[in-house]
Amino acid sequence: MIFSRYLLLLIFTLPFIVAGILSAITQYKIGRAPRKRLIAQLIVWIVVLAGLVSAESIYNWLFTNKLTDTDSLSLFDVIQITSIVLLFYITNQMRFKLRTLERRVQDLHQEISIRLSVKK
Amino acid sequence: MPAFNESGVIGDVISDVIKSFKTSPYFAEIVVVNDASRDDTGIIAKKYGATVIDHILNSGAGSATATGLSYAQQNGFDIATTMDADGQHDAMDVIKGIDEIIKRGDDLLIGSRLIDSKGMSKSKIIGNKGLSAITYILFGINSTDSQSGLRIFSRRALESLRWKTSGYEFCSEMLWRAKQQKLRISEYPIKAIYTDYSKSKGQNNWNAVNIIKSLIKRRLEELLG
Repeated sequence: MIFSRYLLLLIFTLPFIVAGILSAITQYKIGRAPRKRLIAQLIVWIVVLAGLVSAESIYNWLFTNKLTDTDSLSLFDVIQITSIVLLFYITNQMRFKLRTLERRVQDLHQEISIRLSVKK
Repeated sequence: MPAFNESGVIGDVISDVIKSFKTSPYFAEIVVVNDASRDDTGIIAKKYGATVIDHILNSGAGSATATGLSYAQQNGFDIATTMDADGQHDAMDVIKGIDEIIKRGDDLLIGSRLIDSKGMSKSKIIGNKGLSAITYILFGINSTDSQSGLRIFSRRALESLRWKTSGYEFCSEMLWRAKQQKLRISEYPIKAIYTDYSKSKGQNNWNAVNIIKSLIKRRLEELLG
């Protein structure tokens, strides 16, 4: 039962992790993001994935070494962690979009100001 | 010349620059970027013979400087200079800077008020040195006056230099971007003229806290992509 909850957690969160990785690769391939961002994004998502894949092993290790005395994963925890991963995915996408938009608004403002002033 | 609510001094500053250029072999177009001032900065600047670019929205010194340099780049300027509109720079230092950049073959020349800091208050010296130290820690750029507004740009710098911050923190970010673009950066001494007006307009040490916060954020963002 415990194993199935960890598996459930992975099944629930995997689509967001895959979407995050795909989005980072796509942005890089279409030239909207630099290589540095691609690498940073891949590292972040792979770390999240590794953490979730090894969640059970980490819990068991902590428990046997008496570093934690909490109960193992509950269904509520599964939902909560999935929500956190989903929110992280959304925030990450929004941050990138906001930065791109901010840059474009700045450039637009600059160009409009120059063109209007030259016309006067 | 980025300007925000400088109607009290902008006319005199433009007149001084025009006078200085008349004694030099250079032809200059004075461009004032009026950063949506609430006073008559734009009207006065135009009256005194400057080309005025009116920002529609107030966007900060960094953004206004970027607009001015973009205008210079689009109009094929060989060399561009930025200076503060509050009258704290001596117009003759602009000519000296142009002579120096031609002689040295640099891409970005910073007019440093701290090579000889005579006339500068202790708090300003501490604030500016502190920001230069932060610039060194974050970006590895050794500058005695990373916040100086008097800067001379080569054509190569005009073509390649872009920054992302729009406030006063652009001063440090510009040096960082110049380093990334492998531009040749150097400094020359200038004097700062502190009047009651320029003292009231300049950055205070509390602004420095904001600048540091923004620079750290920018550095982290670059690291995290």
